[in-house]
Amino acid sequence: MGIDVFLEYELLGVSHPGRYLGTEVNARNKPFSEASVRWALIYPDVYEIGMSNLGLSILYEIINDTTEAMADRAYLPWVDMQERLLECGVPLFGLESRRPLASFDILGITLQHELTYTNVVRILDLAGIPLLARERDEVCPLVIGGGPGAFNPEPIAELFDFLVLGDGEEAVLEITDAVRNWKQEKTLDRSDFLRQCASIPGIYVPSLYKFAYRADGTIDSITAEAGAPNPVKKRLLSDLDGWLYPRRPVVPLIEAVHDRVSVELFRGCTRGCRFCQAGMIYRPVRERDGRLLANWARELVANTGCDELSLTSLNSADYTSILSLSEELAMEMESRHVAVSVPSLRTDSFSVQLASRLRRVKQTGLTLAPEAGSARMRASINKGVSEEDLMRAVAAAYGEGWRKLKLYFMIGLPSEGEEDVEEIWRVVRRIMREGDSGAPAKGLKLSVSISTFVPKPHTPLQWAAQMTPPEIARRHFILKEGLRMKGVTLRWHSREMSYLEGIISRGDRRLLPAVISASRQGCLDGWGEFFSWRRWEEALATEGLNPAWYAERERPFDEILPWDHLHCGVERDYLWEEYRKAGEGESTPDCRIRDCTFCGACPGKGASA
Amino acid sequence: MKRALIKYAKRGEAALLSHRETMRSLERALRRSGLPLVFTSGYNPRPRMSFSPALPLGIQAEAEYLEVSFDGETDLEAAMQVMNSALPKGLSIIDIQELTASMPKLSKWTRYGLYRVPGDVGEVFLLLALAGGKQARLKDALASLWQRLGLPIGSELRGISRVGLYASDEEVFEDAGDSVYFFDGELGELEVLTNSV
Ligand code: SF4
Repeated sequence: MGIDVFLEYELLGVSHPGRYLGTEVNARNKPFSEASVRWALIYPDVYEIGMSNLGLSILYEIINDTTEAMADRAYLPWVDMQERLLECGVPLFGLESRRPLASFDILGITLQHELTYTNVVRILDLAGIPLLARERDEVCPLVIGGGPGAFNPEPIAELFDFLVLGDGEEAVLEITDAVRNWKQEKTLDRSDFLRQCASIPGIYVPSLYKFAYRADGTIDSITAEAGAPNPVKKRLLSDLDGWLYPRRPVVPLIEAVHDRVSVELFRGCTRGCRFCQAGMIYRPVRERDGRLLANWARELVANTGCDELSLTSLNSADYTSILSLSEELAMEMESRHVAVSVPSLRTDSFSVQLASRLRRVKQTGLTLAPEAGSARMRASINKGVSEEDLMRAVAAAYGEGWRKLKLYFMIGLPSEGEEDVEEIWRVVRRIMREGDSGAPAKGLKLSVSISTFVPKPHTPLQWAAQMTPPEIARRHFILKEGLRMKGVTLRWHSREMSYLEGIISRGDRRLLPAVISASRQGCLDGWGEFFSWRRWEEALATEGLNPAWYAERERPFDEILPWDHLHCGVERDYLWEEYRKAGEGESTPDCRIRDCTFCGACPGKGASA
Repeated sequence: MKRALIKYAKRGEAALLSHRETMRSLERALRRSGLPLVFTSGYNPRPRMSFSPALPLGIQAEAEYLEVSFDGETDLEAAMQVMNSALPKGLSIIDIQELTASMPKLSKWTRYGLYRVPGDVGEVFLLLALAGGKQARLKDALASLWQRLGLPIGSELRGISRVGLYASDEEVFEDAGDSVYFFDGELGELEVLTNSV
């Protein structure tokens, strides 16, 4: 059955058919047949999540702006649509061109989260493409990966012909050129072409690296084939201003999770929270020019009719001229009834005042993330926020009229005791009493969100043990008992999901068969109702893999980690020193405020000896 | 404050956009159009808009309506052009006109909907009350109609269009020819109305 006919007959029977139409305003629709290099940019989750991703939207713009190339989009269809596709024998297709994914030259898949890895397998299965890179022949598309997951892709690395580490803007153009030449000249076979790609900076070709293991299960060596870089260093754009930015982005047909347009203020963050992967792999901080940003914001609103503009980054209150920029935009946008928002704020009164000045058009919520309840734990993760900072931020928010606040805490940190968890409810209770200068805070409602610490590669805590689900359950119980009070709602992440995230995030290549079998047995981990820890346990057991060995084991310094051949700039020694400081509760200042701490991320600044 | 009535069509694949998604698309196009919209007050101001009764998913339409309030002088023709360049494929603005104060509100006159239904021997017209006592669901009406026409129940929704909205059942014959099936939701029965004029 042809894809057009399939859509005509089947779309009415699936939920939210708008996900599959590809007829959005501002979709580029470049003709498939005229392009010499055809990309499908894929977000391995449902449409309304994928459409909110800025990274893919940037690459879509850059590729479609080159004369000879085109970029289409694809997402993972919801299960009802997956069933229709399979039943009708129709392969997964690009939304705009309605061509099978298998007919593209390059499938570019972004890896934003470990719990989407089973989705990646499902996408390739639905596209009818051999899963393993080594099983694909000349007519198959190149399957390439990017995003934060590329910094430890090992559990699914063998699905990819190659991955791109770091900023993608320049790399996608070089890849486009390489593929065009390869197709025209037809002199290299696929494996030689991949060898050639390995010389493009930032490109990791998994098939050129071999892992050897010891009897105790640890890695004995990671060897790169001659000519392949070891380590592979990430791509880093030192100046973002010269690059294209999507100012006429595709407007989702159905409501996206973040239903707004965004300007990216800067990339990177040097606050140095020790659990945060984004804070390490995107270093250093690179700000965009304020005049450019203001103009882009105007264009974005004019070109989409969107009613919310977001000033995004990992920590927007840190943007140098955040006050003048946000003030200027808020004033201008107010007359157009467009709300301006600043997500991811610090926990201090400056941030609260900033949020309150922006709150002209729309009553937006306010989220504060002290991360840990006790001063000891906050020192350990290098979160430079004191309880008084938090109290002042809450008082400021209350004073500005906020009555609903969201608080984020993380539990399960290394060396955390139950008394540290009790501190969380103690702080929350104090807030409820003191919202308004010491008197009980009338009408204040707190939503307390608890996440579970998951050790992530390329962070100081990458060596740490993850807490077991039963221990986390006990902590959840402590919080539940301690926070039985009016006005407070408590929610936490699924313990099993966090545990699985931990297994995959520090996993190695031996996990791949389990990922594939879990996916083929119906696990789509990010989608709550299709997550099944029981099936995962079976899949791991069948492969002879011990979940606890991956998640709960503290690693010694000299153990080879599955991502030691991939380099984000920040040096391993630096991370180890930070790990030691975490144990001692010593702080490391932000290098934008104080001196360089020689993490290694800035070209030319060098790393500590 | 003035009012404008916008008439739009929803053809082809745009029929697969829900009412809510259609409203969003139209709102965004309006925001881009330069029409000086009037917004509601309160915590979450929205353009003051009202829509003709929701169209079930999968049904196309030739003449749906949207009423907006605006302030000041404006070139409605130009606004329509901008809107048309900023709508998903299949949605299009057919007409936009200023309403005088005396003209009734949208909800007052969009009481009947006329549907064109493709059949084995050419198309037939089906009329439904969208408000009031005889109001019916399209699904039930179609089931009766298909039975009457000897077609299997649950036949295709594809190809069905809502072609007009009216204040009374007498106005429909202009668009539907001399006779039309009317499904009385109260009685749950299909009857044939013929033009008595
Ligand atoms: S190298 Fe120095 S200045 Fe650059 S990010 Fe690291 S600590 Fe900051």
